[in-house]
Amino acid sequence: MNDVVLEVRNLRKEFRGVVALDDISFEVRRHEVVGLIGENGAGKSTLLKILSGVYQPDGGEILRMGQTVSFKTAGDSAAAGIGMVHQEQSLVTSVSVAENIFLGEEGRGVRGGVFRWGELRRMAQAQLDKIKSPILPKAKVESLTFAERQMVELAKALSVEERAENEPVIVLDEPTSVLEGDELEVLFEQIERLRKFASIIFVSHRLDEVLRISDRVYVFKDGQQVAVRNRNEVDTDELHRLMVGRESTSEFYHEGAQLSVEGNPVLLEVSGLSKHKAFEDVSFALRAGEVVGIAGVLGSGREELSRVLFGAEPFSSGTIELDGRGLPLRSPVEAVKVGIGYIPAERRIEGVAQGMSVQENIFLADPSTVSRGPFLDARKAAAEADRWVKGLKIKTPNRQTDVANLSGGNQQKVVLAKWLSSPRLRVLILDHPTRGLDVGAKEDVYRFIRELCARGIGVVLLADTLEETIALSHTILVMRDGVVQNRFDAHPGNKPKPVDLVEGMV
Amino acid sequence: MSRSDLVSSAPGVDLRKIQRLFGTGGPLVALVVLVAFFSLASSTFFTLGNGSSLLTQLSILLVVAIGLTFVIILGSLDLSIEGVMASSSLVFVLLAANDRNDSDLGFLAVIAGVLTGSLFGLLNGVLHVHLKIPSFMVTLGTGAIGIGIATVLFGGRAPRLMDDSLRDLGFGSLGGIPKLAIIAVIVLTIALLVQRFTRVGRYGYAIGGDEQVMKLSGVNINRYKVLSFVLTGTASGIAGVMAALQLGVGDVTIGGGYLFTAITAVVLGGTALVGGIGGVGRTLVGAAIITVLANGLILIGVNPYVQVAVQGLVIVLAVAVTGWSLRKRVRAIK
Amino acid sequence: MRIQNNWTKRALGIMAISALTVGLAACSSASDEQNVPGGGAESTGEVALVQGIRSLSNSYHANWAEGGDLFGASIGQDVVVLSDEGDSQKQLSLVKGLAAKGQVFALNIDPNTSSDTEAIVRAVTEAGGYVVTQWNKPADLNPWDVSDNWVAHISFDGTGSGTEVSQALFDDMGGEGGIIAIQGILDNVPAKQRFAGLQAALEANPGIELLDDQTANWSRTEALAVTQTLLAKHGDKVKGVWAANDEMALGALEALKAAGLAGKIPVIGFDAVPQALEEIQSGENRYVATVSTDPWWQGAAGLSLAYQAASGAIDVSKLTHEQRAFYAQQTVVTTENVTDFLAAPSAEAIQVDIDDPFARIVSAIN
Repeated sequence: MNDVVLEVRNLRKEFRGVVALDDISFEVRRHEVVGLIGENGAGKSTLLKILSGVYQPDGGEILRMGQTVSFKTAGDSAAAGIGMVHQEQSLVTSVSVAENIFLGEEGRGVRGGVFRWGELRRMAQAQLDKIKSPILPKAKVESLTFAERQMVELAKALSVEERAENEPVIVLDEPTSVLEGDELEVLFEQIERLRKFASIIFVSHRLDEVLRISDRVYVFKDGQQVAVRNRNEVDTDELHRLMVGRESTSEFYHEGAQLSVEGNPVLLEVSGLSKHKAFEDVSFALRAGEVVGIAGVLGSGREELSRVLFGAEPFSSGTIELDGRGLPLRSPVEAVKVGIGYIPAERRIEGVAQGMSVQENIFLADPSTVSRGPFLDARKAAAEADRWVKGLKIKTPNRQTDVANLSGGNQQKVVLAKWLSSPRLRVLILDHPTRGLDVGAKEDVYRFIRELCARGIGVVLLADTLEETIALSHTILVMRDGVVQNRFDAHPGNKPKPVDLVEGMV
Repeated sequence: MSRSDLVSSAPGVDLRKIQRLFGTGGPLVALVVLVAFFSLASSTFFTLGNGSSLLTQLSILLVVAIGLTFVIILGSLDLSIEGVMASSSLVFVLLAANDRNDSDLGFLAVIAGVLTGSLFGLLNGVLHVHLKIPSFMVTLGTGAIGIGIATVLFGGRAPRLMDDSLRDLGFGSLGGIPKLAIIAVIVLTIALLVQRFTRVGRYGYAIGGDEQVMKLSGVNINRYKVLSFVLTGTASGIAGVMAALQLGVGDVTIGGGYLFTAITAVVLGGTALVGGIGGVGRTLVGAAIITVLANGLILIGVNPYVQVAVQGLVIVLAVAVTGWSLRKRVRAIK
Repeated sequence: MRIQNNWTKRALGIMAISALTVGLAACSSASDEQNVPGGGAESTGEVALVQGIRSLSNSYHANWAEGGDLFGASIGQDVVVLSDEGDSQKQLSLVKGLAAKGQVFALNIDPNTSSDTEAIVRAVTEAGGYVVTQWNKPADLNPWDVSDNWVAHISFDGTGSGTEVSQALFDDMGGEGGIIAIQGILDNVPAKQRFAGLQAALEANPGIELLDDQTANWSRTEALAVTQTLLAKHGDKVKGVWAANDEMALGALEALKAAGLAGKIPVIGFDAVPQALEEIQSGENRYVATVSTDPWWQGAAGLSLAYQAASGAIDVSKLTHEQRAFYAQQTVVTTENVTDFLAAPSAEAIQVDIDDPFARIVSAIN
């Protein structure tokens, strides 16, 4: 009996002469979890889009249960039992959870063009029950957090189970990037449950997670498949080396570049800061060149704190002082004016202005360096923009390209450049700056954080992982339920262990 | 905010239902405030006579605006309304008993007038979707075509509707309620059902919310876009016929002013021009605000020279109030 | 894709059927179309006769053209009609086309907008033709400033006729009671003149009270709504409706019908549109009066004036400023004279206006 449920043979795809996929082959066996890793641009996204019927391959073939298949539309792919959980959220936020789960494939939920809400909600509830989610089918997606939306995506992908004759193949594209703690555990539980009746392709940039959950891992690089490893014959260091093509070392976090901030002047002093229903009595001092990391799970209040520090939300009591002077911080405009920058988690929504060029985005917050009076100095702006593109290794055809066309990692770099280009910048708040980035891009971001510190800029960091928090910070605050539980000194050579932090978090 | 607040619905289901239908408070409050104010300021505002004249004045605007809501939810726009109303009013009058020719199709003429609107909607949708021309460009053009056809049919003077039973629909009433208003209520009910229970209604929200996602889901978006335009055109056709019933003529300028007012009504009600948010129930509130305002300002004797300015001011205020309640929703989460 | 195609086909089918419906309706309206008068300009006389109007499909300009034909007939010549269909560019190029024929011409034209007038009269001057313009000209541009080829400009002041037609309304009301006034676009010149006429009439009639005045922007639809509201506001105090044009008066009439008041409350308007004339003639709904500029006169007298200048019968340089830019008399149309405005006047009746185009001067413009 053939155990291979999905096979890709010699797949090739070009975009206007640029090879995105070059002779890719891989297979997924029954009830197997296959990990798929690679840097940005390695070809993962293209491969997944071919599997979901969005792109047509230029060469090679796809076999499902040994039969050659071709997916012309997303519907074809779903009908063949392939369910996708997209990296970029693929939910329509303006309609309900139930509608999203069955979008375009309502089945019994719609009779003769007429919605039967009761039935549709029951069907949605059944999918949500599979992942034990408390989300209500009739809730509007826009009222959900990003983590909850990810759960809806999963429920949506699982709905192919009922539709296809064959056991489904579920593709999870970077599913863990927005999940934290418990939610992550729920996801892994689900994957374990799913593999009893399905096969899973798990795409992630978190190598430890890939190793933990996958039976086999395929490594992609520059459009080619460069390695396949079984779980028990590889470790994260090797995966990293295979993927990036260079040695992985503790240099990853550039810990050696972390400078002592002892004796540096205090830039930002927060005392007794509270926001009703979000956090209480938060105090800390941020010195020039210091990184203060804030650790905490969803609901710990750290997101609200970061938004308050940027003036995007009001606070109810306490003080925020910059250089010893109190700030009212009523709006982001005031924050920018005094030199506080903010890089948000959801760059798509808050960080970059899609529809504007790379150059325009870079000088969006502070055009003063490239202006002459009220006018833009076009030549200087162009030169500066090119310098940033080069310095940050932003992969873009040119500085005039619409940022919307850039990959996530490169968009994030544009946001970084936006703040770094401002000579007024004193304090930078980084809210998950590496979320969704691949290892190489992450390394670039870490390097820049070190450079910022060397310039005397203070950083408030809400990192993606505990390791990141520990490695990058000088001081760590651990928050739970809006209250600071613990403080750690994390100067070089004095780093706490992740487990120390977890204690205060849950 | 805790997780459960976000996920599960708050108690007080009725309030939520009202909100879902008529929008998030703001416009509804504005309407109630206006009604209360005019009732106090004018002894005639809250009378039977004025009530019936309010209903008549609301009817046609409401039907046009309901239709428009369907394309605005897509994130598109239909600027052909006035041209469509002109054409359908003339097609209707010239096929019913009139003083121009011997035709006397009775109710069939009504259907022909309405179908003229549907046809324009179909044309709008097909051109927009298949030639990939932005909807406002397409409909600007087809609107001109509508005026052109109407001008040819007009032939120098407005043909009069001579069918008395049809005329009665225009100015008669049933139990004190103008028949035009009854027609509008029927249109509203159908529109509410279509929006809530049909694919074209539901997918409209999804297309307006995120067209790419709909494509990824394998939905034939074009089909539902075209159907939405057909709904809008049909409503414009009904409105054209209603206007002809009311005025007793088919006329090139019969839709004059309705486009701008209808867009205002839709947006004022709380349907976003970017698409995905809103609904016909909210449009009822928006249209009612505009009608009450125009009527009330005359009743309390505001100088006609400043009426337009006052109307503008009140509308800006109402939108500001609406925007306030939408603020949290529009802003990204976290 | 297959589904898509079928669906498109069906859509096209429906469109084709509906196009037939529209066509059917179009045919049934064709009976109203007027025949285009005139043959070529190659006629016996040495001066070509030309009318410049918007379109023969509206009754006002059709009547204007008819008046011109009556003049042509009086001297045994055909008249060429240029219709611009409301397109200023087209109008100017048609006028320039006349010059290219190299024949002296007499043009009687209704320029589309004030700003078109200068270009038209300059083109005529260059070509050596003679032109009479009507209705629109820039306030600071006068015929004597341009050339003798721009013979005269004729326009109408609504103030005098506004007073007269208001008086007709008041008389019908028996000289007392309240009226409501529905104005045109408030900053529009004719709207102001007509309302000034009403106010003058109100001063002379102390028994009449102006209950309310509102604008309906010349629109029938808006007038209906405004009238409804005003009826609700003033109730049975309303004894008469004054509207600044017939469109709005007819809209108001529909509001009266809906309230069961048609025939009980008199209505007046301006412009003498066909439906208003029919209402006046039938008398059923107490549509008392309207005001006409007399389009037949505009066509005949205007063309006659241009012709007389072209043929040398009058010496333009000797005309007074009043004769070269004047407001002409308008006529209040009531049941007594309505038949005069439902059909073209006889050749004899119009001969008076042809002989003396200046007979209806009311005052100089400015």
